[in-house]
Amino acid sequence: MVDEQAPTHHQAEADDRALFGFWIYLMTDLLMFSVLFAVYAVLQGNTDGGKTGKELFSLNLALTETLILLTSSFTCGIGMIAARAGHKNQVLTWFGMTFILGLIFLGLELNEFSNLIREGHTIQSNAFLSSFFTLVGTHGLHITSGLLWMAVTLIYIAKRGLNSNMVRKLAMLSLFWHFLDIVWIFIFTIVYLRAFA
Amino acid sequence: MNDFSINENKKPIKEHGTITSYVAGFVLSLIYTLIPYYLVVNHRFSTSALVTTIISFGIAQMIIQVVFFLHLGRGPKPFYNVVFFFATVGLIVVVVGGSIFIMDNLHYNMTPAEASKQLAEKEAIYQVEGKLTGACQKLLANHVVTISGGKVTPLHTNAQLCDTLTFINQDSRISDIAFGPHPRHDAYAGETELTVKKGKNKTITLNQSGIYQYHDHLDPTIAGDFIVAK
Repeated sequence: MVDEQAPTHHQAEADDRALFGFWIYLMTDLLMFSVLFAVYAVLQGNTDGGKTGKELFSLNLALTETLILLTSSFTCGIGMIAARAGHKNQVLTWFGMTFILGLIFLGLELNEFSNLIREGHTIQSNAFLSSFFTLVGTHGLHITSGLLWMAVTLIYIAKRGLNSNMVRKLAMLSLFWHFLDIVWIFIFTIVYLRAFA
Repeated sequence: MNDFSINENKKPIKEHGTITSYVAGFVLSLIYTLIPYYLVVNHRFSTSALVTTIISFGIAQMIIQVVFFLHLGRGPKPFYNVVFFFATVGLIVVVVGGSIFIMDNLHYNMTPAEASKQLAEKEAIYQVEGKLTGACQKLLANHVVTISGGKVTPLHTNAQLCDTLTFINQDSRISDIAFGPHPRHDAYAGETELTVKKGKNKTITLNQSGIYQYHDHLDPTIAGDFIVAK
């Protein structure tokens, strides 16, 4: 915990700087995703005679994934309110729920991928599937690292308690998680909904 | 140190969310997810209108989440974050929009088989370097199919190669003609979907011989066929 006597102004400024740095990272990450989206938009029709998205995807699965991730973003936000109020147990509960929802999301996505690959639709099949696996897979990798980060942070908080340093780290984690939710909204729209439009 | 010590030395900061803002963001996000899903599942509009609609809903939902979840633009020092956010959005518009624009043009101007056939048809190029492109040199008779009252008349059209076929829509709503029996969407004369607005008409050149079925994509009971003889 920071020195209780020190002006909190100083701490707030340090927090602002750290969050701004993290914000810059998020924006550059968003640029990377946008390029992957552009690639997908251009290549989505190039199936080389193979099956199209409409024949390969399940819209209900995509909707389920969207609702799960959306709910996890919500629980993450509520967890952040608890963190700022200093309620350690509530933080563990809400972020724990976020973690479980994220894990279910990742499981559904991996299941979808393995089903596709088992049926012979791999990243090497055609340009459409290459761009699909790259775009959705990159998001999945982000979710995986977010889950690892969340697990480590939660274990730390459970063992050593909540301090202002941890609140700042949780704030970054929640920014990251909301950001992944926003990216997923576009995957849901441009990859899944559009395939059935 | 106890768990509640943080609260005391924090000034009230507005940029952080409240329960209300998270609930509002969550509910709005749910609505903006379910509406496009419903529209797509029930196929409410023609494909191009549907794509525009769902992308608009995606963008609206992004704005909702940026405001209610990321709390951008709220609080004492939002300036750098907001500037950086809009700079990024600007870059994305240029990179993504530009790529799609360029690649679409490229796609239109140089692609194999189907697209060059369509181009040859549109520009009436019937031969290139002495080879026939399949486009018609001279258009022959014109046949008319009228769509009104949820029916097409005549149901069957007999035509010769290089005749033209005109769809006239006298119904009270838009007609989206797809080729092949429902629910298939095949291509004919380089067209996969022929949108005919109410009171308007569209003409295609019959440059492929054989028997072809067509149906209204929005109401598959509106269907007919045409036979093109050599």
